[in-house]
Amino acid sequence: MSTTRLQELLIGFGKGKQTDIATANLVANIWQLKKLNAQLANPKLNTENDADEYGKGHEFATQTFKTSWDVSGTLEKYLSAEVSAWAMAFGLGKVVKSGTTPNFTYTCTPLFPANGDASELPYFSFVEQIRPGAGVVLDRMAVGCAVEGGITLPAATLEKLLPSAALALSINGTDYVTNKNVVSVETSWKNNIRLDAGFFPGSGFQTPGDATTGAIRGRLEFGNRQGALKFTARFDNTSTELTKLKAQTTGTATITLTFDANNSLAITWQKVSFATAELGETDQIVTVAVEATPMYDSTNGIVSAVAKCGVDGICQ
Amino acid sequence: MNDPNKVWLLPPFGQGEPKAFEAKPEILVPAMVAGWTQCDPPASEEVKTDVHD
Repeated sequence: MSTTRLQELLIGFGKGKQTDIATANLVANIWQLKKLNAQLANPKLNTENDADEYGKGHEFATQTFKTSWDVSGTLEKYLSAEVSAWAMAFGLGKVVKSGTTPNFTYTCTPLFPANGDASELPYFSFVEQIRPGAGVVLDRMAVGCAVEGGITLPAATLEKLLPSAALALSINGTDYVTNKNVVSVETSWKNNIRLDAGFFPGSGFQTPGDATTGAIRGRLEFGNRQGALKFTARFDNTSTELTKLKAQTTGTATITLTFDANNSLAITWQKVSFATAELGETDQIVTVAVEATPMYDSTNGIVSAVAKCGVDGICQ
Repeated sequence: MNDPNKVWLLPPFGQGEPKAFEAKPEILVPAMVAGWTQCDPPASEEVKTDVHD
């Protein structure tokens, strides 16, 4: 018998959004992409038992009950135009699609319930398979996933990578690529999904209508969201980071990665100031490490992303 | 065929009539933040045939 190597793992997930948390993506709305990390999205079954019940004559469990299911996972990928459009749309939650083939443009922003937006992110299905078919080792689908973070998968989508050499970076009035000073930049968005609130009276069961199969979440709402922007740049006599820190100067921060005119990602933090700026060194060259504080701009919100790629229907 | 450079958005809370916006980030982002959401074009926009011809 041949052993199963993890390199055989296939993953697919909803390119389009589910109609609701409980309704899986149709195959036509799922795409297959490759990934880097070995982690599997293992569903975790939570159980309870009757050990605490009186009337048995002893303190030991005699039966167990399936109470609920958890599933989570991490997807690590090389950044491409296609997956960046997917991540921005599903991660921020609000998307407007424009353009036409081969240049679809997805303009994405966070959801603001105060202005009438939903408090739940768009849902997608996630499929893992190893040797699907007669010799199946693994074939499962998690329905109703949200970004924190037995079907036939379509052929893998060929992605257009967005390498760091294609970076354009402007933060708080300084173009860090033109002045050749950027060393590294890191940005993130965390939805802090309210996992406990997903279970509520009537949230449903793994098998609809079967109360013995364990409860499932009926909603995944975002909590207090957090954006972050950090960068390290070479520090010279023209550097202004410390001055801007002391003055608490505000400005936009734009991170752009481009493959070609039809495939790119541009993330804009609409208003940032510097929270810390510390001098140090990178490979014996004096650098400044800056942590920025993203702030809400009354017109443009906190962050937006414009993702261009040739794939239609992302988060639609 | 709809104009790829134009999108239709519904006002915040779904109150009101859809409106066409130029598909540029500097126009779309403030509208999206204010609560406008994408919707299908009105039926009259999808019909391009001149019925008088």
